[in-house]
Amino acid sequence: MSMASMPASGLAVIQASDISEKNLSLSADVVVVGSGAGGAVTAYELARRGKKVIVLEAGPYVPSQQFTERFADSLETLYQDHGGQTNASGDLLVLQGACVGGSTVVNGCVCFRTPDFILKDWQQRFGLTDLTSDTLAPYFERVEKNLSIHDNAEYEIARHGQLIRAGANKLGWSVKPLRRNIRQCGLTGHCLSGCKSERKQSMLVTYLPWAAAHGARIYADTRVERVTTEQGRASGVQATVVAHDGTPVASMTVKASQVVVAAGAVQTPLLLQKSQIANRSGQVGKNFACHPSLYVPARYPEPVHAWRGALLGVYIDEFLSPEKGAFVIEDGGSGPVEMTMAAEPGTGKPFMDYMANAKYLAGLVTLIHDHNVGTIHWDGEQKKIDYQLADADFPSMQRALKAAARLHLASGAEEVYVPSSDRRVIRSEADIDPMVDSLENLPQHLRMVSYHPQGSCRMGSDPDTSVVNDKGESHDVPGLYVADASLLPTSIVVNPQVTVYALATRIAEHMAKA
Amino acid sequence: MNSVSPARQVSRTLQQGFGRRRFLKWTLMGGAGVAAVAAGGFALLRRSALDDQPVPADISGLSHSEYHLFARCQQVLLPTEGTELHPSDSLPVVANVAAILSFMAAPVRKQLGMGLSLFDNAAVFSHGCRFVDLDDDSARRYFDQWGQGAVIQRTLATAIKQLTYTAYWREPATWPAVEFDGPVTDKWGLAYLGNAPLPQEDGEGRV
Repeated sequence: MSMASMPASGLAVIQASDISEKNLSLSADVVVVGSGAGGAVTAYELARRGKKVIVLEAGPYVPSQQFTERFADSLETLYQDHGGQTNASGDLLVLQGACVGGSTVVNGCVCFRTPDFILKDWQQRFGLTDLTSDTLAPYFERVEKNLSIHDNAEYEIARHGQLIRAGANKLGWSVKPLRRNIRQCGLTGHCLSGCKSERKQSMLVTYLPWAAAHGARIYADTRVERVTTEQGRASGVQATVVAHDGTPVASMTVKASQVVVAAGAVQTPLLLQKSQIANRSGQVGKNFACHPSLYVPARYPEPVHAWRGALLGVYIDEFLSPEKGAFVIEDGGSGPVEMTMAAEPGTGKPFMDYMANAKYLAGLVTLIHDHNVGTIHWDGEQKKIDYQLADADFPSMQRALKAAARLHLASGAEEVYVPSSDRRVIRSEADIDPMVDSLENLPQHLRMVSYHPQGSCRMGSDPDTSVVNDKGESHDVPGLYVADASLLPTSIVVNPQVTVYALATRIAEHMAKA
Repeated sequence: MNSVSPARQVSRTLQQGFGRRRFLKWTLMGGAGVAAVAAGGFALLRRSALDDQPVPADISGLSHSEYHLFARCQQVLLPTEGTELHPSDSLPVVANVAAILSFMAAPVRKQLGMGLSLFDNAAVFSHGCRFVDLDDDSARRYFDQWGQGAVIQRTLATAIKQLTYTAYWREPATWPAVEFDGPVTDKWGLAYLGNAPLPQEDGEGRV
């Protein structure tokens, strides 16, 4: 039985405002870079086994009570680059949390185990033979229990979900309640702005306070600049503590024989590149998948109020298998600001008419299985996310878009707005093919969002073609581990948070034995 | 010294439909362009009466021409006459745009500034005046044309629209007209659940 104790609310975090020294020298058994899904889980799993753990988070600590439930504000305070992180051509918004708790604070709570066909692909193509549905099952079960992951109950399926479910049933498509990590959902619809009443089981109210209860120290506002090595082994990190106005406050050195990099699929490769380590394969920053999604809004004859109720209720798994297209569709709530970003209904009056009808709008989120064609690198002045939807993936995006349009129409929608840079409105089945087939795979033609960046430091059995092994440890640098979505050798079609939690649990178990 | 005028540079850019990266590289390398960029954007191709209008004291972080561009976009993109929507001219739309831009990394902000100048000045070729001086219908058609144009045009049209739309719809005064509830947790008196209970681990807790 654990003897650790924990406050009922809140988290002990050392922030820039708490630091008076100019130079901090710390030591630990393990230093963890990043406090999101991978970092928080490894921190807890190691701290509870008696390891001295330090967690360093570049973003600020924002207690739940300070969440505003205003999406535009939340983008600026809780997200990477204040919500402005995009690919190089600017047509794909890459949304990641940048606060204590990382993306788990601002995600939609959707939980899937890694699909079996994805794991089989990893086994065959990347030699990850130990990662099977059976061997991973205990890790999935553990995080599902810890995070109160459950099928949405009927009260958690909002009006937009009910409409979509009825439409799917009409089409004969398989539709299921989504699984989410939430306790007693308050039905506020503000998941993407953080859960103010602490019902979402993000890292902020679970693994981080649990890690702290076992002695882990958590620093916010701390940007890790470099992973250090001694005699070829990981030896710690160098970091800078930065005030919220951007002023450097202190330099920090952490000595630790084990270093976990879990800064997310964009920042993790940048840190390794900057540190000039772990890249014998040349694969650091390569094989990046954005897992692009479209938000497809449609106008219904009766009010939907897509901001009311649980953000995400049901999903269509009819097309999940590779033979059927390898994409999923989820019903998705949204508020007015998000709706402005989704479609191009026209300029001036047409746009204001579209927004005046906001309460009649409902949306669908499409997720495809994209190829790992992107790269992440520093161009000397700024980070660069080079990712354009591959031509090979464009038909998949079109199929998902067509299915979403059909589903909306079957659900009773009168107009479906194609999320493109020009005005495209679908009013009948006959409109679908011409509207979608004439789309071109060009920058800035589709309005895509990436909620699940992944790849970029892929795991595999071959040191020549992968960055880390199946236990997350660098092929090149003993003691250096990666434990976030950058591990994933391919995109996984579905929302990846549970995959990251499970892999991080497994990685921590092996680290404890090392 | 590059002898090509800024006007011809703009024209060529649009005709050739340069990708963003090439466009920016080209702009930065052009001799005349360098001088203009150093001054915060393209040299103005045609004067506007708005150039003599002051920028409100509470606006910071926008150049003179950027302020007038977004003020014009507010009028063009957010018409509310004859609707129940909240009048946009009573809201701090341009100040909100300035606040959003203040979060941008310096290199991105610099590139956007160049793009905004391009958007404003390129209208001289098609309409004989800058965007800020177009009448409402022409300004809306200009947006639509750019939305179907080259990559750089689609990028800028989308970016300007998104900034303006977000700056309007983030204001709580706009919400009642569409029955948006806004923040609800405190309004509904939802209890704060706090931290999840610490898991009770058995021994080493190995999976």
